[in-house]
Amino acid sequence: MRLLTHNMLASNVRGVTSGFPLKLEPVKWCTKEVELNADFIRGMLPKIDWKALVAATRALGLPELLPEEQPAEDEIFAEGAADVEGSAIRRIHHALLEIHIEEGTLVCPESSRAFPIDKGIPNMMLHEDEV
Amino acid sequence: MAQPALLHSHSVLPSTTTTSPAHRRASQFGRLAAPRRRRNLRPMASATVQAPPGLKEGIAGLYDESSGVWESIWGDHMHHGFYDSGEAASMADHRRAQIRMIEEALAFAAVPDDPEKQPKTIVDVGCGIGGSSRYLANKYGAQCNGITLSPVQAERGNALAAAQGLSDKVSLQVADALEQPFPDGQFDLVWSMESGEHMPDKRKFVSEMARVAAPGATIIIVTWCHRNLEPSENSLKPDELNLLKRICDAYYLPDWCSPSDYVNIAKSLSLEDIKTADWSENVAPFWPAVIRSALTWKGITSLLKSGWKTIRGALVMPLMIEGYKKGLIKFTVITCRKPRAA
Repeated sequence: MRLLTHNMLASNVRGVTSGFPLKLEPVKWCTKEVELNADFIRGMLPKIDWKALVAATRALGLPELLPEEQPAEDEIFAEGAADVEGSAIRRIHHALLEIHIEEGTLVCPESSRAFPIDKGIPNMMLHEDEV
Repeated sequence: MAQPALLHSHSVLPSTTTTSPAHRRASQFGRLAAPRRRRNLRPMASATVQAPPGLKEGIAGLYDESSGVWESIWGDHMHHGFYDSGEAASMADHRRAQIRMIEEALAFAAVPDDPEKQPKTIVDVGCGIGGSSRYLANKYGAQCNGITLSPVQAERGNALAAAQGLSDKVSLQVADALEQPFPDGQFDLVWSMESGEHMPDKRKFVSEMARVAAPGATIIIVTWCHRNLEPSENSLKPDELNLLKRICDAYYLPDWCSPSDYVNIAKSLSLEDIKTADWSENVAPFWPAVIRSALTWKGITSLLKSGWKTIRGALVMPLMIEGYKKGLIKFTVITCRKPRAA
């Protein structure tokens, strides 16, 4: 599971009104290099909840990766920024797409229900009594 | 999951009355091992519908078991191909036809091609091994989340996405379409290609799709329905219900509804620009091709290596043909739009 996916998932337990974002408890994870596509990031950025993304990186023990506040768009998409080590766009790209959670748990912030991540796949199936 | 006993049994499959050559040959493969579930044939209710016990496990199990066979014969799209009416289909055409099905659905729903207006986020509801997800992600450069009940399919689909360099754009999760694990208003395109048949509660199915659709988003459902009822009818005729029951038992399908039922559900959810079409003639060429492929050496050996559930699914193809010829089953496309924010 990538953090881009984590940013789109919410708890669907019955009665929960604020099931987003899910708290990430990673157990096993790795990084895999992915080619940076600025257009894709530009398309996704408006849909990203920045606070949830930052919280996920903190849960992975990466407090330095992203700033608390989302950088301005013209800074992120500045000419040539993709080639600069440590630039905002490269950090965002790394956070969203290059970190893979193989094993872990996603925890509902309201009900504390734990959804397992197994072989990189979150299992969001509810039990009968949670529906 | 080989079942060697099947090769030695003489028993004939119960409750099939067709006598096509395919069926007679197939009946030598053994008796029905799985007990028939008792099914409740009540008409479409508008109240919350409980999934029959074991339905979700049955669906997950069916696809966990048969996904590999299907993929080896038909490739990574697990849906029907779109053919011109009366066209002769063959294995060679099939993938092209499956892609055409996706494109025809997008065209029917008038999904914009303009890069500014193209969908950026997509949900594939009942995604199989992600054939549609990968195709749509590629076509639009969009991010696509797929959901399936089958962990085997999710894993296979993610691996295929990685192999195709799409793992940044495509992500499959195990989740229930009736309880989608997404916040409201997330997706520009909400897609369901031949998965609606599995949903025990059609209203909940559509309502979840509407919930996760962003304002102005397009919803596309391609699914099997039974024919619309006449104004004087309360239900289908007994022989029609019987035929549907046999099809449903083989494919872990709950009760079917009609295209009008979907339209009424969409209207009740205040969805806009609701359109439907009957594409039954455009998929009919597929079944003889499936039967022919099941009878090839590759088809037979694949089926024999898989479990009873898969074999039973393949053997029910003649029932689909029968249902189509009787005008009972309809391959239907339904599209609508989530209203833009006021």
